[in-house]
Amino acid sequence: MHPIYLIDDDQDVIESLGWMLSGLAINSQAYQSADAFLQAVDIHQAGIAILDINMPGIDGMALLTYLKQANSPIAVIMLTGYGSISLAVKSIQDGAIDFLEKPVDGEQLVNLLERANHTSQQRWQQYQQQQQVQQRLALLTPRETQVMQQVLSGKLNKVIAAELNISQRTIELHRHNVMQKMQVNNVAELAHLLIQ
Amino acid sequence: MRLQTTLFSTLVGMVLLLLPSFITQAQTIAPVRFGVLAFADPVATVERWQPTADYLAAQLQRPIQLLPLTPDALAQAVVQQQVDFIIGNALTSVAFKKQYGTSHILTLVNRSSSQPEHSVGSAIVTRNDTHIAHYKTLTQLKIVSSDANAFGGFQIFAGEMAKHGINAYSQLPELNFVGFPQDKLLHKVLNQQADVAILPTCVLETAITRGEIAPSQLKVALVKPQHYIDCQSSSALYPSTALSKLGTTDHQLATKITQALLQLTPDSLAATKGRYRYWSVPVNDSQVFQLLEKLKQWPFVTNWWLVFSNLLPGLLCGIFILFLGYLHHLRVKSLVKQKTKALVDEIQQHKQTQQTLLEQQKQFFRAQRVLLTGEMASGIAHELKQPLAGIRYLTQGCIFRLKNTDSESLTSELEQALTKVIAQVDRAQHTINHLRDFCQQHSHYQDCDLATIIDDAISLMQPEFNRRQLQPQLYYQSAPIYADASLIQQVIVNLIRNALDAMTDVTQPQLTIKLNCQQQQVYCQIQDNGCGLTALQLQRLFIPFETTKADGLGLGMVICKRIIEEHRGHIDATSLNQGLSINFSLPLRSLADAPHLSD
Repeated sequence: MHPIYLIDDDQDVIESLGWMLSGLAINSQAYQSADAFLQAVDIHQAGIAILDINMPGIDGMALLTYLKQANSPIAVIMLTGYGSISLAVKSIQDGAIDFLEKPVDGEQLVNLLERANHTSQQRWQQYQQQQQVQQRLALLTPRETQVMQQVLSGKLNKVIAAELNISQRTIELHRHNVMQKMQVNNVAELAHLLIQ
Repeated sequence: MRLQTTLFSTLVGMVLLLLPSFITQAQTIAPVRFGVLAFADPVATVERWQPTADYLAAQLQRPIQLLPLTPDALAQAVVQQQVDFIIGNALTSVAFKKQYGTSHILTLVNRSSSQPEHSVGSAIVTRNDTHIAHYKTLTQLKIVSSDANAFGGFQIFAGEMAKHGINAYSQLPELNFVGFPQDKLLHKVLNQQADVAILPTCVLETAITRGEIAPSQLKVALVKPQHYIDCQSSSALYPSTALSKLGTTDHQLATKITQALLQLTPDSLAATKGRYRYWSVPVNDSQVFQLLEKLKQWPFVTNWWLVFSNLLPGLLCGIFILFLGYLHHLRVKSLVKQKTKALVDEIQQHKQTQQTLLEQQKQFFRAQRVLLTGEMASGIAHELKQPLAGIRYLTQGCIFRLKNTDSESLTSELEQALTKVIAQVDRAQHTINHLRDFCQQHSHYQDCDLATIIDDAISLMQPEFNRRQLQPQLYYQSAPIYADASLIQQVIVNLIRNALDAMTDVTQPQLTIKLNCQQQQVYCQIQDNGCGLTALQLQRLFIPFETTKADGLGLGMVICKRIIEEHRGHIDATSLNQGLSINFSLPLRSLADAPHLSD
């Protein structure tokens, strides 16, 4: 399981929650503020955050928004003293796994953690893939990028050669380089890679 | 001479007829007017006295006018001075002397009498066969008389009856006044239409002398022996006719007339026609006074009409004044009524206003209490919820750990107990949530005006302002907002009350409230010149349970902040040189869409 972060300003509550989870052999790390969490954790790694809303400084909602904007793979579970419908809706819209009211039942939380773990894994993998694709794309020369875009739009080599005003042979060379740099065997694979 | 005068008079008369414009000149020879008491036939009266009048006219060389008048008319004429002299019976003369100040100047001496003091009496005439033994007998008989005011005919008789203790007006049931001529009464007795006729003395004797009545048919009953007159009388005798002058009549004229009349001899034309011997100086009329006194027992004789007519102007005046007084009284009464009503209305209105104010105040305090309880419940719920959450986590942690151990029996026992702990925690949790929901004030948003809300709040606190002798300075403008008016009012009242509390020790307290609309926001400033806040107090102003007041809870400003923020507004405080300024802003209505409902 990915690391679990508990973020709440009430130390007693957060410690007891951690102790409950450790009873199920689930380890967690506690932070008493959003700042402390952000300083200690690499948000681009997979993980699960259980967030309180009412906190001094950056509150739970603000942290959720920040994580989403940073494209973090961390799965977030909102855990608040007093839930309201508007807050719940906003949380889900901002990508939270669930919106719970304190105190949460251990069993329920465990189920949710598993789901969050899965989600985070997916998000992380996706993130990794995106990173790889980005890296491969960065290897392409400007001309190769140009040829790749023409190929993806479904044009034949001779059409591309005519439009770019270069020989068809050169086009074939560029095309081969693109396939090699992007580590794909055909155009279909390339398209699939870039759609993700 | 006389002919000449008559001729002259006739001529003057003709001239007067032809030339009415000479009237004033003709009036210079005004006639001397004689009022003569006449009961029945004025013509007969004038006939009797005309020769005397003519004699006087000749003597005085002035026209004499005879006015035959009934007793009432005579009295009226005397009052209005339409006559100069009056010829009347003794009673009238005496009565007028008393009532109108006439002077008795001459007494007539009758032909039948030798003594002028004793010349007229009353005769009770009855048939020869009727026997009347006593005056009391009369009460059972049919009596006729000519007139109640007739002196000889009735009044002397009435006086005589009074001497015998009988009231002639009320105790003679069969008494009838039949009028004149007097002979008619004699015939009524003869015809047995009446038993008794009351007549002046000598009427019967004259009738017998004239041969109208046979001597044996009628007689005078209850005869009083006397030697003054030749006729029989049933009563004492009184003086005869008297001549009186009015108080205003010229005394020289009266003297001339007296002189002329005293010169008349029994054989003169005037005396024969006037049926008298001569005129004498006034005689003793004390008897008449006595009679008058006797007759005065009966109100009839008191001239009520006269008394009344004398009093009438005063009476009318009095009634008029009374009436005016009454009108004034009515007016004052109605004014008092109006004023009272206005006053009552005003009091009623005041009461209503007070009632409304009281009601508003009550509502305000109720709302305040609800808000406070809500806020307290929130705080308490939060404070309890955290430890409860901790307990629950710890308990469940225990259960999870127990599941991993091997000791079956111990595990299940502890697990049961811990599960119950969780159930209890959940129950407590449930109660707290319930309490919190219950205490939460539900907002009621509507279109309203912040200026109006402030006005209401100020009127709510007016008694407080009055007590402090403080008039808040208001700089207003209309500020339409979409808000819960009662909540905003809570804020305003709270802020004003804080300001007032801060100014407790200030001698000249000043409270300023400003409203200012800018960029879709309304900005409100509430400034006081009170004790103000330290920098630290200012920093902690909106923190719950922080208070500078001995009996404060420290939630007032927290509630204000919460309410203002719930309305998407902002509130802060800044220190002034002296005092504090609380500023808050709210979105104006055009910008305020659906309100943000947070917990």
